[in-house]
Amino acid sequence: MNNTLLSLTIAILFGIGTFLILRRDIVKVIIGLSIMSHAVNLLIVSVGAFSGKDVPILTHHEVEPTNTIFIDSMNNGIFAPVLNGTAPTQFVDPLVQALVLTAVVISLATTAVIIILAYRLHEEYGTTDIQKLKRLWG
Amino acid sequence: MSSLIHHFPILLIAIPILTAALTMMLRSKPKLQAGLSVLASFSLVIISSLLLMEVWRSGIQVYEVGEWGKYGIMLVADLLSAGMVILSAGVSFLSLIYSLDYIEKRSLSTYHPLFNLLIAGLHGSFLTGDIFNLFVFFEVLLLSSCALVVAIEKGGVTKTSDKLEATFKYLILNMLGSFIMLIAVAALYATTGTLNMADISVKLGAMQAAGDLPWHVFVIGLLFIVVFGNKAAIFPLHYWLPDVHPTAPSPISAMLSGVLIKVGVYGMLRVFFFIFTDVLGMFQPIIILLALLTIGIGAASAVAQTDVKRLLAYSSVSQIGYVFLGIGFGSLGAIAASLVYLVNHAIAKSLLFLTSGGIIHHAGTRDMNKMGGMVNSSPFMAAAFLIGGMSIAGLPPMGGFISKFSLFDAGIIGQHYTEIAIALLFAVFSLFYMFRAWLLMFWGEKRDVKAYGEYSEHGTSPLIYVPIAILALAVLILGVYAEPLLSLAQATAVQILDPQPYIDAVLTRVVR
Repeated sequence: MNNTLLSLTIAILFGIGTFLILRRDIVKVIIGLSIMSHAVNLLIVSVGAFSGKDVPILTHHEVEPTNTIFIDSMNNGIFAPVLNGTAPTQFVDPLVQALVLTAVVISLATTAVIIILAYRLHEEYGTTDIQKLKRLWG
Repeated sequence: MSSLIHHFPILLIAIPILTAALTMMLRSKPKLQAGLSVLASFSLVIISSLLLMEVWRSGIQVYEVGEWGKYGIMLVADLLSAGMVILSAGVSFLSLIYSLDYIEKRSLSTYHPLFNLLIAGLHGSFLTGDIFNLFVFFEVLLLSSCALVVAIEKGGVTKTSDKLEATFKYLILNMLGSFIMLIAVAALYATTGTLNMADISVKLGAMQAAGDLPWHVFVIGLLFIVVFGNKAAIFPLHYWLPDVHPTAPSPISAMLSGVLIKVGVYGMLRVFFFIFTDVLGMFQPIIILLALLTIGIGAASAVAQTDVKRLLAYSSVSQIGYVFLGIGFGSLGAIAASLVYLVNHAIAKSLLFLTSGGIIHHAGTRDMNKMGGMVNSSPFMAAAFLIGGMSIAGLPPMGGFISKFSLFDAGIIGQHYTEIAIALLFAVFSLFYMFRAWLLMFWGEKRDVKAYGEYSEHGTSPLIYVPIAILALAVLILGVYAEPLLSLAQATAVQILDPQPYIDAVLTRVVR
């Protein structure tokens, strides 16, 4: 897998997100936030080891659960909880995918709330210019 | 009974979520909805006190959700978690009773489910032992508190446009904060291959012992300072707080200032003394500097305010600086002192915000210059505000004196003389701004009698004054009879500084 390309994509997405958050238009700020959340999600996926051809689920039923199925052990120097399997049952870390799933759902909810807020702000103030929202100073 | 006690950590999260769902369905029956909500909140107070007693008696309680051991989500109740939970359960119970009369009827039907979700988020983030789960509960409490800030109070002293603007600021900043937290969590996962906090602590300790601690662990630590600093509103990230806390309805202000900013303190204690046990020394000067700047800027800004709730919000900024000062010193006594400070500030500031709600309804305005002479027309509110103000200012019979005294004592023992001198100077500022507010509102000529608006009977409504009276009593008791809180804080600080019992309780269990 081309990790340089992936890192570059994440970096560019972060850049675009930051640029848009610094704009004056509320809608652009919100788009910037969603782009930044995509960048974070990509970052989380890139954290787990992945090879490009393995999938994050078990495709074979060859793993018999013994008394313990995880082999992480401080004594052997293995930190990540890798499944105790042989070559045909290789798979990529499924936990990061679950984390991204959670993060995506949460960012959906926050984006929905913030879009409603932006709509109501436009109703109250008649503008989407963030510099005109200054009835509060603090 | 003993098997039931084992389930207390999950009950503290499940009951409010279930109540949120039920109250959502009971929107057409306001009486039943309110009764259910109050009942659930009261049961949380009972459960959390039983949990604290159990933790005190028989050590750290661990609850495995789904029985996956350290690979799944765990709820861990040590003294810090249990103490924070009882604080939040108590303050939220009193705020809920207060809001039954304070919040506008049409807002109240959605207020109850959101309030319960806020409680669930608070309890979840205090009890969880999994760092990604901490992020999830942060989002739960962020979204529900955003919706609660725009709830409409009776009397309409705060314009809806103000509330929307403040909430927009709050939401954007906290979304950015949660992105940063996700980055930090992902980096931590990439480094250690686990999300369980005890496990991360053990693995970072092993790396440290082997001498190959990667440099980006320090970057992760700095990211966590930004995240929790944003939640707790310390200096460079404090500017959203004086907008959000005053515009929220008073019971929600009490929740925000009393408990919600303490989540940042809790996270700081958890992450820095627990996960980054050995790399903390490098960050202590940073935390002390930020704390001193926070104290100074909060106190100096509070002096000039004319809006009573804005003054209290700036005072919160200043007071949270003192809590972080204790964390920055990092000694046993200083951490115990900052825990005592945290509890006393939570109770006194909730009392002040609830009282200010009563005062605002009485006077029909938030501008202190337009008030005056209210000591005759509402002596109860005057007494309650005086008790809260004395506690914040740190005057003897109140809880605030004990907390300031023990914090300064710990600082002097640790030979942080300059820091203590600066903190002491701004403690005098807090004395000045609290008494200036009290004199402006309650002393002097009675102005414009007709302006004592349509809700002036709220000063004597039992739903309003009973929570205030209970909180005022708590402030007094914590000042006069402070020994139990001090010894609890001492034991908690011992547990914070020595994470080994926590790690043992979490990790030594059979995974199937």
